[in-house]
Amino acid sequence: MSDAQQHGGGAESDFDLTQFYQVFFEEAAENLDLMEQMLLSLHLETADDEELNGIFRCAHSVKGGAATFGFADVAGLTHQMESLLDRLRRHEIQPNSAMVDVLLQSADVSRSLLARHQAGGIGDLPSTEALVQRISELALGDGQNSAPTGALATAPLVRAVKPELQPMALVGERTLEILVGPLKDRAQGEAIQELFRDIPGLGTIEALACDQADMQKYAVVSSTSSDELLDLFEFHVSRSQVVIKDVTKTWPETPTDFADAVDVFRATQLQPGTMALDDPPPGTPLAPSPGFGFFDGAPGAPMAPPVHVTSAAEMPASQGKTVEKSVAPLAQAEAATLRVSISKVDQLINLVGELVITQAMLAQNSRALEAGQFPKLMAGLADLDRNTRDLQESVMSIRMIPMSVVFSRFPRMLRDLASKLGKKVEFVTMGESTELDKGLVEKITDPLTHLVRNSCDHGVEMPEERVRAGKPEAGTITLSAAHQGGSIVIEVRDDGRGMSREKILKKARERGLEVSDQMPDADVWQLIFAPGFSTAEVVTDVSGRGVGMDVVKRNITALNGTVEIDSAEGYGMRVSVRLPLTLAIMDGMSVGVGKEVYMLPLSSVIESFQVKADAINTVGQGAQLVKVRDEYMPVVELERVFQIPRTDRDRTSDIMVVIESEGSRVALLVDDLLGQQQVVVKNLESNYRKIPNVSGATILGDGKVALILDTGALVRRSRH
Amino acid sequence: MTAMGYTQDQSFANEREYLTFRLDREEFGIDIMKVQEIRGYEPPTRIANAPSFIKGVFNLRGTIVPIVDLRLKFDCPRADYDSSTVVIVLNLARRIVGIVVDSVSDVLTLPSENFKPAPDIDTIIDRESVVGLGSLRDRMLILLDIEKLMASHGMALTSDAIN
Repeated sequence: MSDAQQHGGGAESDFDLTQFYQVFFEEAAENLDLMEQMLLSLHLETADDEELNGIFRCAHSVKGGAATFGFADVAGLTHQMESLLDRLRRHEIQPNSAMVDVLLQSADVSRSLLARHQAGGIGDLPSTEALVQRISELALGDGQNSAPTGALATAPLVRAVKPELQPMALVGERTLEILVGPLKDRAQGEAIQELFRDIPGLGTIEALACDQADMQKYAVVSSTSSDELLDLFEFHVSRSQVVIKDVTKTWPETPTDFADAVDVFRATQLQPGTMALDDPPPGTPLAPSPGFGFFDGAPGAPMAPPVHVTSAAEMPASQGKTVEKSVAPLAQAEAATLRVSISKVDQLINLVGELVITQAMLAQNSRALEAGQFPKLMAGLADLDRNTRDLQESVMSIRMIPMSVVFSRFPRMLRDLASKLGKKVEFVTMGESTELDKGLVEKITDPLTHLVRNSCDHGVEMPEERVRAGKPEAGTITLSAAHQGGSIVIEVRDDGRGMSREKILKKARERGLEVSDQMPDADVWQLIFAPGFSTAEVVTDVSGRGVGMDVVKRNITALNGTVEIDSAEGYGMRVSVRLPLTLAIMDGMSVGVGKEVYMLPLSSVIESFQVKADAINTVGQGAQLVKVRDEYMPVVELERVFQIPRTDRDRTSDIMVVIESEGSRVALLVDDLLGQQQVVVKNLESNYRKIPNVSGATILGDGKVALILDTGALVRRSRH
Repeated sequence: MTAMGYTQDQSFANEREYLTFRLDREEFGIDIMKVQEIRGYEPPTRIANAPSFIKGVFNLRGTIVPIVDLRLKFDCPRADYDSSTVVIVLNLARRIVGIVVDSVSDVLTLPSENFKPAPDIDTIIDRESVVGLGSLRDRMLILLDIEKLMASHGMALTSDAIN
């Protein structure tokens, strides 16, 4: 990597590379993440060429970039990874789980090294010697004999199982150069050729000239996987005597000179739907190889501008689908995205918010005009209304990213955790494409991680125990996300041992909590959210210290969400997290009580009706009920909840608005239904603090502030 | 603590620009750098169950800002709301708050020799927040660390304050 030194820090070169560091760090992180995902879903026995090539390209890309920017340590390690992966994709060696482990570890170390560089070179330098050593060992051996180390000895049975079935290992047609030998005699070589031709649909085979006397070389055009070809050759020779080299013309991996690189760039321009930028296709390094001299003596050389096309959040969403397919569609999907800073998006959302307020004000004021008076104006306002609505939907969706981004970290985590604990776990995900605001995604990741770890650590039993209980040896942990009304519901389910009601009640009593044996199950399960509560007999470093669940609950409550638990001893457990979709703009229904205006999220409103005083029944000192068709529903008097002053004694609330939240319904008693409008949700807590029963505030058309009611809190309040 | 037992915040003794305002018959001075703007008073949206001196929240060009009536907080005999009532909008370390006062006087620079330490007397004003007295020809200014005052427990503006 000596050539890379001359570009170190960019100080000597005429070109300042430091401005591109950030972009490189982000891209490298994405490549390492992608590599990790692909490694985890790699089929060891029937490794697809596309899979191996894909993983190779990730390592190659990181290596190239690291070398260009002078990060020799990263370049060195990824170079080793690349060598191993190169041998793998040429089928010179077979992949095994020890290789996957060492590659995963190397990816981790690469991340640390990059993080260190990003932080300016401070912190401990992780050692890469042992890893490099291990990688070379594995690369040299034929893979079958390598002894896995320590805790990785048990092949962890963790696979990400998608409801869509894994496609068969189909590859596109390839041109191969197959070297066979040493052969006993020419007859053996001819027998191989004949066998190949005997099987219909296999492809074509041509003998090529070969220097070595006892070796035979063939040019093969086939769409069969290398593995199957090897199976075929095994009729006559052993696998170790066959070397398959893929010489299909695809992307030139390492353009040997600038002209080639330019051709590669141009090739991307021809793809429909790409942006007309001089960007290298993903997978090729910024400079084709270290020491290429791309930047030498080239002030003002046409370097691609920082706005470039990569995949960002698209990649994780396509995990499990595009990874198994061919490369070209992948490149196209990546080219159709744009990297934008979050602050710009937030600014855009704010501006659209202001626009919505202004538009609402215009709409409100225009109602005072007579319908026929200004037909063009009214038509224009109607158009404006529609356009604003569309604009705001589009803009809001910019910040939405799929849950798969959150889910993607779990296969790796569970794999390591399960193997550490000696358990067998299958991980199933559903609803990965469910979208969630980026801000929420960041905040929900930690609580979810804790819940999943909990399921693995405390829920799923040891394999022997499971078999004894008549369950399959491997436990299943399911993570699902779905939209429900105005919320997103995320569930963590396991088929483990579930929770013991008695143990929890006993523990609660020990801690001095008020419990009774008659408590309904749902309430018993909620006890585990008390601080310091843990019924785990043994505290592992994974969980059991009792600091987890209450933090989970607090984090989720801070997002205005709720957590529900359901469990059946012996069968398993389910934790449901319900979060409001953070909408800076929501559809609201305004209600009036006294002189004040309050806003309700329209998605929570079921119905409304007028009511007479005698229709409200009381139960035991104050709790009020109203009959709605066949159901008795609790009544919440907003006048009382918010201590609203009454100036007009004769006016009382006589309208019921039925709202639903967390599966329960209550009827709110108000004076008037004022209207329906789209409102911008403003944060109260940035300058003030959290107000009970209030989830936010909004600005009405007349410029006044109206409080937005927290339907969850109102529903909960009537429960006790 | 000085020899005479006065508390003194040295940093406030240096020359500073103060915005002066009146609450009833008392005059106060606050660091001009903390003042974002001065507005007239409009009835804000009431917040239930809040202390009486928190009048509510209002809309400041799209931001929701709470309003505290200092006259109520400091037990002044009168708190009128008319066309001369003033709201001083403060920008304190990213928290924006409005305070209702009777009137705003002027912005002045207080030379250090006019800065006197705050006496150790019992007053309704949070002790920590009174940093000194400004002595001018015929005026006495009560100099406040307005940031500390608004963040104090008694102001009930933050979640930690309320518990």
